[in-house]
Amino acid sequence: MRILFFMDQRFDRGSIQSMSNYVRAGCETGHEIVVYGRPDERFPTLRFSQDVGAFDYVVFLVESWRHWMSALRMPRIFAEVPRERRAIVDADGMYNPIVSTDSYDRNYDWEHIRLEWFAHYGTVTDRVLQPSFCPRQPGVRRVLFYGYDPAQRIDRAAAPAKHYDVLCVGHNWWRWRQISRELLPAIEAERPRLGDIAFVGSWWDTIPAGAAELGVASAFGTDPEWLRRLRIEVKPSVPYTDVVPVMSTGRINVMTQRPLFRELKILTSKYFEIFSADTIPLVMIDPDHAELVYGPAGRELALAGAIGEKLVDVLRRPRHYEEVVEDVRRHLLAHHTYRHRLEELVAALQA
Amino acid sequence: MKLLVVSRYDRAARAIATLTNYVKAGRALGHEVAFYSEPIDGLDVPTSRDPAGFDYVMFVVYETADFPDLPYLAHLVDRVPRERRIIVDCTGRYNETIAVEHDFNHLERMDNHLGWEWVDGFAAVAATVLQPTLAPRRPDARGFLFHGFNPGAVQQPYDDAELAARSWSQPKPYGMAYVGNNWQRWSQMRSLLTAIKPVQRELGAICLTGWAWDYRPDWAAELGIDGIDTDPGFLYDMGVEIRGNIPFDQVIPFVSQARFTPVIHRPLFNHLGLITNRTFETFCSDTVPLLMLPEPMIDAIYGPAARPLAIGDDPAARIADVSSRPAFYWEAILKTRAHLAASHSFEGRLRELVAILQA
Repeated sequence: MRILFFMDQRFDRGSIQSMSNYVRAGCETGHEIVVYGRPDERFPTLRFSQDVGAFDYVVFLVESWRHWMSALRMPRIFAEVPRERRAIVDADGMYNPIVSTDSYDRNYDWEHIRLEWFAHYGTVTDRVLQPSFCPRQPGVRRVLFYGYDPAQRIDRAAAPAKHYDVLCVGHNWWRWRQISRELLPAIEAERPRLGDIAFVGSWWDTIPAGAAELGVASAFGTDPEWLRRLRIEVKPSVPYTDVVPVMSTGRINVMTQRPLFRELKILTSKYFEIFSADTIPLVMIDPDHAELVYGPAGRELALAGAIGEKLVDVLRRPRHYEEVVEDVRRHLLAHHTYRHRLEELVAALQA
Repeated sequence: MKLLVVSRYDRAARAIATLTNYVKAGRALGHEVAFYSEPIDGLDVPTSRDPAGFDYVMFVVYETADFPDLPYLAHLVDRVPRERRIIVDCTGRYNETIAVEHDFNHLERMDNHLGWEWVDGFAAVAATVLQPTLAPRRPDARGFLFHGFNPGAVQQPYDDAELAARSWSQPKPYGMAYVGNNWQRWSQMRSLLTAIKPVQRELGAICLTGWAWDYRPDWAAELGIDGIDTDPGFLYDMGVEIRGNIPFDQVIPFVSQARFTPVIHRPLFNHLGLITNRTFETFCSDTVPLLMLPEPMIDAIYGPAARPLAIGDDPAARIADVSSRPAFYWEAILKTRAHLAASHSFEGRLRELVAILQA
């Protein structure tokens, strides 16, 4: 099958890593996976095409913004790609009723905005896929979409030196409440027993200009002085091609997810990417959720309560946790590779 | 002809003044010009959401947000054949990527689109791309000045330069006023203000009206956009009054409260020969336009009578000279108004447009 992905192409965030994984899985399984656009040196692992009519399906990968589905891009799709050959992967749960988590994270503030999104989707396609274990909206098909790519794995021999005891690689987007209420107090309590710590990504020490103007101010929060006091180094985001190597510079990598995603059981690239790195991933989701994704071994990697003790324990008993991580990787190989995901996607498109 | 205009209708920006003049010109010539919109409060224009009832759909584009969102865009594309869709490219997007000083026609970090996407996108939307310039760069773009002059909107329609000069010499609230947003204008505005400092006392109060004259938006700093610079301290020291946006239908009377008004085009526009609504509208006000434009453009658009209105190398001297012999300059203004009425009226523009579309 020939699939053309349309997406917001950002070299240091979003789902760009998964495109690279799909391209590789496609090569291995005889499918052609291409992203709309022209070759771009920022995306060395992707294949591009502008020939929208030449593909069996055009799949829109939609996250929290849709401005990129602009008038400069969409008319060609409408003209050259029949509706039945279009699909949307609703990556951020926008195709749902309004869902608000703890009056904090939410997919929409207003019902009329939600209706605009639905009208937008309805114009593009009837086929909406969600990377969720349990889609809520009638008519949505479950396609987990994100997966584990064993070819991306950095093994111990090839791994860079460990500069950090604890790393958190990701952007501070709807994360601050969990970080400030759970992770930072735990770090504070155990700080003398932890070595270097870094948060890598955007908005850990600043709030972006225009956040209020765009109505997304509540997605951001930070306390640079607290981070300084805890000796947490803040580093800028890295290109998607560097994410796994950078994660591999940490003995522990902490994964956080948006509350909304945890609520909707939505997967992201990060769930799997972190297991490609040479590190011990600790995931800030509840143990049941961790088992759902990672299998039984995943429960032990869930950071739910006693976070500080867990961080110290991992540093004290790395061999034990490495075995747990290997168990998870075996589960991922059995159930969540991009080969699986591509087969599921092809089946969903042909259904 | 029935023409449906598609754009973003901001009462204090873009082409709203031009577009309302197209509606009036259409009424005068027996054409129907309507806006693609729900009814707009306080605006005497017909509106419609049904493109099927129109002969042509004209997208007036400055940036991507000027196209309607889905599902409206899909309705337009589905229901109107491409040959009956046209784009007026007001900012030179339908070109290779060009950078002039701090100005540009494409910048991915501003709008998330690479240069080639503007060209591909325009070609997908419309069979005809018109640009308000006398010299389009691309062979598949057509020059169409789009903006125009409305003689009926002239604030004080004098026949006689002496009379105009006497009236103009009466005290006015402002010595100089400028209406426009601070987007790619600061370097020229700063040069002008610096140059007229020596005659500021004689000139009188100065007012800048529009967006972001007194602050640099945070997003501009974050994105490293230099074309939106300003210097609030400099403006404060000169006593320049800063006012926010004013609606399009108050521009002519407001500018008429000033003795002088600069006509400034973005560096990119000077490079591409693009014109704006203000190119013509300024001549409707009871003010002396100071043309800060390339001389060939002054000749081509305004005619040779406008040459004395070119600001020249010494703005302070020009202002002093206008003040000392205003009738000479008003003679230039009245002749230029006559030229604009004859060559650049909105009725003339609409006739040109009909001819282009029906060719």
